[in-house]
Amino acid sequence: MIETLLSASGGATSGGEPQIILAVVLGLLFALGTFLILRRDVVRVVWGVSIISQAANVYLVTMGGLRGSVPIVSHGGGGHGTPTDPLVQALVLTAIVIGFGTTAFALVLTLRVYEEHGTIDLSEVSE
Amino acid sequence: MALAHVVVAPLVITLVTAILTLLTRRYGRLQRAISLLGIGGYVLAVGAIASRVFSIGVLTGASGETTTLTYQLSDWGAPFGISLVADALSAFMLVLAAIVSVAALVFSARYVTEYGQRVAYHSLFHFMLTGVTGAFLTGDIFNLFVWFEVMLMPSYVLVVFYGRSEHTRAALQYTVLNLLGSALMLVSIGGLYATTGTLNMADMSRRLTHASQYGIDPAPVLGLSAILLAVFALKAGIVPFQFWVPAAYKAAPAPISAMLAGVTKKVGVYAIVRLVFTVLGGASLDSALGLGLSGSAFSDFLGPVLFIMAVGSIFVGGLGAVSRNDLDGVLAYSSIGQVGFIVLAIALAAGTEGPIRTVSLIAVLVYSLNHAIAKSLLFLISGVIQESVGSTRFSAVGGLASRRPILAGSFFLGALAMIGIPPLTGFFGKLLVFDSAGQALEAGVPFAELALGAALLGAILTIIYMSRAWSQVFWGSQTEPVAHAYRPTSLVAIVAGFSLLVVVLGVGFDPVYRVAETAAHAAIDHAGYVDAVGPEVGQ
Repeated sequence: MIETLLSASGGATSGGEPQIILAVVLGLLFALGTFLILRRDVVRVVWGVSIISQAANVYLVTMGGLRGSVPIVSHGGGGHGTPTDPLVQALVLTAIVIGFGTTAFALVLTLRVYEEHGTIDLSEVSE
Repeated sequence: MALAHVVVAPLVITLVTAILTLLTRRYGRLQRAISLLGIGGYVLAVGAIASRVFSIGVLTGASGETTTLTYQLSDWGAPFGISLVADALSAFMLVLAAIVSVAALVFSARYVTEYGQRVAYHSLFHFMLTGVTGAFLTGDIFNLFVWFEVMLMPSYVLVVFYGRSEHTRAALQYTVLNLLGSALMLVSIGGLYATTGTLNMADMSRRLTHASQYGIDPAPVLGLSAILLAVFALKAGIVPFQFWVPAAYKAAPAPISAMLAGVTKKVGVYAIVRLVFTVLGGASLDSALGLGLSGSAFSDFLGPVLFIMAVGSIFVGGLGAVSRNDLDGVLAYSSIGQVGFIVLAIALAAGTEGPIRTVSLIAVLVYSLNHAIAKSLLFLISGVIQESVGSTRFSAVGGLASRRPILAGSFFLGALAMIGIPPLTGFFGKLLVFDSAGQALEAGVPFAELALGAALLGAILTIIYMSRAWSQVFWGSQTEPVAHAYRPTSLVAIVAGFSLLVVVLGVGFDPVYRVAETAAHAAIDHAGYVDAVGPEVGQ
């Protein structure tokens, strides 16, 4: 979804624009995540958490700036223009892997909660 | 050349041990032997680091010289590669972690004996220790996030270890909260990278000290570091992020509760100290921010926040502990209150300068050491009672003192150390907290009298809930389950041996104090930290 928004706004070359769109998208993602976490259904809470952690990843990429127009390693013929900071993308890869593991664990835990309590309604679980 | 690798040794040893115990999970005795061998190697590695960081002169008081060991992974230079830094503060925390994990693991070898439980336990334990070690050693703020995750993931599994309904509920709460904390930490790290242009702690400290030179606006950095502080406070389990603590500690197996209270909470404390005094040590705003706060250094703003958290923790923990009806609950709430004392000392250090700041940080470290040892001792004793009597509820346990005099003696030592009776370690911890509050009061630091009052009330609450726990569990008439309890001889022997440490460290407190003093100096000396890591490339 973000990619289509980016290309609709003229790609990464136009400077500040994609950042503004991403800022709005990030706000929506964090709001959606928060909304889901406040639900009583455990599965929705887990979705909420994973949406928030994905939003944090997108935020991390955004923070590195998206102004670059050429790849960091130029093959043949020098690059014209500046590359985007690759460090944040490396960080995000790490964060995605960690997020994947924890989401899987949280889902298994949800299954255990259902098996032990016979319900995934948080207000009944906490009794 | 080989000596340079000593910094990374404890990490490699625990990681290899964790993997080996996973591979040998079908062979119980072999797995246990590898696990214990691994912790032995860990202690040696930590000892090697500590002996190189603290010279003999530090122990005897002849000098305060310390060395800061740095290790650039794969030889990538400081601001670009990942640095591991073992300065006096890290070395102190590593020693603390090593002491508690040896006791907890030796105890576990006897405590976690069922086949189904044994399979994953040892590797999870070592993975958690790997995360803790990495968090203490890393000099890179994103790497700190990674080690936090490495530490947390096994701890999620260990909290849900017994897998019954109350454990799944506690683990759900614990997991969701910490996942949210991790996301927030990532947000804060991303923001810090965007504003300061670096992730290396030393480089960040240097850039923030000369913020205008590097074109950094300090105001957003303050806000982002406050988010980071909230995440660390969640890990340390202080008010208002304390609510996961009691359920998680009650659900986890006793030696894991000992590790969670003794070690992983200290990772939060360490991270707060490292952030406030090393990374943000030289940072200041261009002008005072207002909000009724004076001063423009970052610590002048973060100090009051920490102060409110600390006072809240002391009261919530103390009052909660007084009203619990089982030993595990008392200990869990007590650890909220005790970490409140530690954070109170951090707040005093943040609000002051010069010698008072040093004394406050020494108080932080000595109190952390005492809490780590005494609280994990008490959790292990609670585990012995659970194992032998089958419950730690006050209604089910009573009159244990005559049936288990050695166990009672160990509990007595641990409880006295928590209360702070000389010559045990707890006395010096409390003394230093009161000393720093008193000195702050004398120097006219605002709210110092409030700090003193909170510490005093907290100390009284500690006496109340500890003596209540003692009289409920060990005195009174023997209950039916106690009369039929079996005698877990080896567990009691381990606990008794561990309890002697509280006495030994208290009686021979002089070297402990000196080591804590050098560690406190290392925490404050952000310029020395920057020089040791040496991020060469500038803007």
